[in-house]
Amino acid sequence: MVNSLTNPLNIIIITLLSSFLLPLIYQKSEQRAVNLFFAVLAAFVVISLSGYLQLLSGLPTIEVLTAGIEPPFSINLRFGIEEAFVTLAINVAALLGAWYLLPHLKTNAPLMLLFLIWIMGMNGMVMTRDLFNLFIFVEITAISTFVLIGFNRHNETLSAGFKYILAGSLASSFLLLGTMLLYFQTGTLNIDDLVAHQSLLTGPIGTAGLVLIMTAILIELKPYPANGWGLDVYQAAPTGVSALISVGVSASYLFALYKLLPLFDTLLPLIAIAGGLTFVMSNFMGLKQNQATRLLGYSSVGQVGLLVMALALLSQTNQADHYLLIAGGLFINHFLAKAGLFWLAGLAAEKDIKHWSHLKQHPVIFVLFVVLLAALAGLPPFPAFWAKWALVHTLVESQHYIWVGCILLGSLLEAVYLFRWYGYAKSKTNETAIVCQARQTFPIKLMVALLLLCGHAMAINFGLQPERVLLPVYAALAMLLLHKQPSYTKALVTLLITGIFTLQVLPTLTGLSWIFGMIFLVGSWVLTIGSLYKGTEQRPSYYPLLVMLILSLGSLLLATTTLEFFLAWEFMTVSSYLMVSLGKNAEKSSLQYLAFSLAGAFFILAGFALAYSETHSMQLSSFAQLAEHTVMIITLLLFGFLIKLGGLGVHVWLPGVYTDTDDDFTAIMSSIVSKAGLFGLFAVGIHITTQFNDIEALMFVLGWFGLVMALAGALMAVFQEDVKKLLAYSSVGQMGYIITGFALTSHMGWVASMYLAVNHVLYKGLIFLAIAGVLYRTNTRLMYKMGGLIKNMPISFVSVMIGIIAISGVPPLLGFGGKWMMYNALVEKGWYLQTAMAFFASAVAFLYLFRLIHTVFLGQQKTEHADIKEAPITLLIPQVFIMVIILAFSMFPHVLIEPLSTAISPYIASTITWTGHLLETKQGYWNGFMVMNVVAGIFLVPLFILWMLSKVTNIQPVKQFNIVFAAERPESPETTHYAYNFYAFYEKALGFLVKPNAIHFWDASAEWAHSFGAALRRFYTGNGQTYMAIILMYLGIIYLSMRAI
Amino acid sequence: MFQDLLNTPLSTVVLITGFILVLIGLWGMLMHKNIIRIIVGFTLMDTGIHMVMVAIGYLTGGKAPIIEGANKNIVYVDPVPSALVLTSIVIGLGITAIMLSYAIQIHKAKKSLSIDDCAEMKW
Repeated sequence: MVNSLTNPLNIIIITLLSSFLLPLIYQKSEQRAVNLFFAVLAAFVVISLSGYLQLLSGLPTIEVLTAGIEPPFSINLRFGIEEAFVTLAINVAALLGAWYLLPHLKTNAPLMLLFLIWIMGMNGMVMTRDLFNLFIFVEITAISTFVLIGFNRHNETLSAGFKYILAGSLASSFLLLGTMLLYFQTGTLNIDDLVAHQSLLTGPIGTAGLVLIMTAILIELKPYPANGWGLDVYQAAPTGVSALISVGVSASYLFALYKLLPLFDTLLPLIAIAGGLTFVMSNFMGLKQNQATRLLGYSSVGQVGLLVMALALLSQTNQADHYLLIAGGLFINHFLAKAGLFWLAGLAAEKDIKHWSHLKQHPVIFVLFVVLLAALAGLPPFPAFWAKWALVHTLVESQHYIWVGCILLGSLLEAVYLFRWYGYAKSKTNETAIVCQARQTFPIKLMVALLLLCGHAMAINFGLQPERVLLPVYAALAMLLLHKQPSYTKALVTLLITGIFTLQVLPTLTGLSWIFGMIFLVGSWVLTIGSLYKGTEQRPSYYPLLVMLILSLGSLLLATTTLEFFLAWEFMTVSSYLMVSLGKNAEKSSLQYLAFSLAGAFFILAGFALAYSETHSMQLSSFAQLAEHTVMIITLLLFGFLIKLGGLGVHVWLPGVYTDTDDDFTAIMSSIVSKAGLFGLFAVGIHITTQFNDIEALMFVLGWFGLVMALAGALMAVFQEDVKKLLAYSSVGQMGYIITGFALTSHMGWVASMYLAVNHVLYKGLIFLAIAGVLYRTNTRLMYKMGGLIKNMPISFVSVMIGIIAISGVPPLLGFGGKWMMYNALVEKGWYLQTAMAFFASAVAFLYLFRLIHTVFLGQQKTEHADIKEAPITLLIPQVFIMVIILAFSMFPHVLIEPLSTAISPYIASTITWTGHLLETKQGYWNGFMVMNVVAGIFLVPLFILWMLSKVTNIQPVKQFNIVFAAERPESPETTHYAYNFYAFYEKALGFLVKPNAIHFWDASAEWAHSFGAALRRFYTGNGQTYMAIILMYLGIIYLSMRAI
Repeated sequence: MFQDLLNTPLSTVVLITGFILVLIGLWGMLMHKNIIRIIVGFTLMDTGIHMVMVAIGYLTGGKAPIIEGANKNIVYVDPVPSALVLTSIVIGLGITAIMLSYAIQIHKAKKSLSIDDCAEMKW
């Protein structure tokens, strides 16, 4: 039998007792009253916690009977595992919320009293099994809410509170009327009894009753468009109260809906539509919102809508095992994150989200803010991530594709406006600092800790080892503890951690994974050394995020299931996004990056879910069994991976990101992170070799796509003035070749693709590091403002020169081998037209490469650059290292090609043969060693002769100011510089090809989404009567659609 | 015809009156700008619902549900709606009181009782 002290009925009894005591004690001593108040709230927590633990240990559901009679003749309460979980959540939030609100509450005994009754009402709504009793608890909760909203008596609060009363009283009238109609039809008020007598409810009166009750509960859950009053409340109410309305009150209504769902069997599609509509629409409207608490209101409304939709859809699919996991995960995630954010918004005390940059001065609050946003956006490791994963899989399996689209679209929009908020907080306008004590941040900290704990528990629930798969985030959090250390220390710790990780991971990898391991882990380790050149800067979050990024790339390699893969992918996305956002003025470009990356991730998620619905296995290797949906799945995955690769059309994030990030991180981004998309292609590709015939047409398109991308990337690079943009577009072009190589789906094609990828890692890392040094010294990114730096920065010059020779694919450096194999593979496949295209694209590439080296290092030097020094040594070390590798691979290409060939040959039979240094294919042969020697000879002999000549004649080189200016000085002299608009003539001829169509398209899409959001919120006139009218119409529409079903 | 109307059971009359009151109340809440009038509208609607509740439980010719002995032939009025209506009257009173106190505060703060002056937040 139930332990009498922890009987859930005690929650109600204690409240009623203390409501008499509290005012009395308050008369004597305020402090004692406060103590009693907290004692009662703590007792709530203890009761629900002990009940939860008991039920978890397998004890049966606690049925609380009243009046000594069995239901349905008495009111009964139920305290099962679900009730226990929800009440525990509510009571914990209440305790923390009371702590947060204490300065207000303790001024007034009735307020404390109301707070207790409020929480009791929520608990009662969760536990009761009687419909009329539910109404009572609804009213108890509502009345206390009305008073608590209005206690500060501000103009806005009073308006919001009154509108809430109007809407609430309408909804409760519906509930009461509906309850009576059901009673009239069935003669019972007990919910279980009603469900048992459902057949009596098919007549018009029964239907009307059901519709009334369902509408009442939906209205309280604030469905679009009948929720304007709710948004006003979120905006205007004291944040401590809004927090508990958003989480506690919504939780109890959601639970009420959950327990009434069996009654609403025929109404489930309507409930799902109401929820889905609310989720998508409120996230559209959120895009337009700048008011912090109202934004949180939109997000709350949306999240609750998602939960409503999930509840309705899942109870249709009869997937009971997933049901609790998904609903519980979504619920607890919203619960903890939203409460935390409302409290935080109260501390920040700044209405406009554009002025939130004062948060930065308080690093602890800032970190809490970011974590809460990430949780709300459904990013890993937080519970919503797991819940959405399971939800999408379940829905795809039951072929609810449109719903999946809604969920992913809504989630994307929500992430965009949440992280735009982060961007504002990140921007650098300085303002007043936040005044707050540790006592006020305590509840927020606890929420964050609980979120992490729940995420950890979810990982276990999904059969993963959290200490392994969540390592990136834990390592990053641990690194945050070093934030007061100098940058050098942090960089060295980063190198140490990633070094140990690499040594642990690399030996366990084989084949292609090992090669990617070399790229991801060793490559980023080497490039991290470069970051030491900014040793004087504090960079508090750079290194933690870098650790997270590198470890997540490592986890990506270790993934064997789609879940592990997706988890690591999301970690990689989040950490790289946050790193990008650290750059100066990177708010816009980083947000673009996030939006595109998340959209890509959602494509991947959809693809994985579709694959799972076919194979019922999360193993990546199970892709081999795909048959029915292969083309669709591969298309979805391609979208996802191509976005990460910066595929043409979705490349628009790339130039901005590469330009605005810190220069040392651009190197990592371009050479390492961009390969994650390629890894994705290969990770899936190697398992579907038997289905290549099915996707032949798709791969043909992809092949052309890659080549068009190669040409367009090269053309766009040609016309850039900004050196980082030039390199960014160059990356787009180079990725094009790599994609085409993959699309060839032949042994040679894949070897060429991988070879080019390795090559890209090397030369892009090299060039970006060299350019980082140049930018560090010259403080400009515009190439026409540089020039003649060869004398000051000779090593950087050599780096760039080696780099561009490697890119351009001329002998003797390793780029040649890549191009050669690529052409071979294209010809082998019979793609002749494509071969010509590839030739043309690489010819265009010469133009920008020449521009790069010429305008930066050659030509005349600017006077202001006369005293520039060579780049810092920490930047040069990795460059020299990479140059050595490039030269070694160029001399002995088989060192690179052989492992690639053997890594791929288990999947596709090899067509390459080796004899010594000689590489033979069907089309021809290549001897890298020989070529290197010949070229060296060709270059060395003339060099020697030139050197001899320079000794015998005394040549006077023309200096910069040997030129005499005549007539007037131009207004902006740099535009007359030869390096400005370097390829004006080509631009006249070919410029039309590279009009920023893609950018315009995406800008227009963003604009459209915002206008759509603005149009949607036209319903919210602020007028209470309009809101009531909408509620009545909502009821009418539901009733009519009910009849239509 | 007239006779028919007279023969309508009392519960039906109460039921219909109740529904009419609900509609009048709603009309008042939606059409009047003055907050006090809106509150009056609410109380009308609330009363209407209470009448509907009572009417639902009434049986023509039923006795008050005070059970004496075990005579199965006596038809009792259903006591549950009557019990419920008491509860909801109390709740309605509570809500009305809160609405009125809001009205006082709104008048203090804005010097106006028009619902249109409570529309400072929108979108």
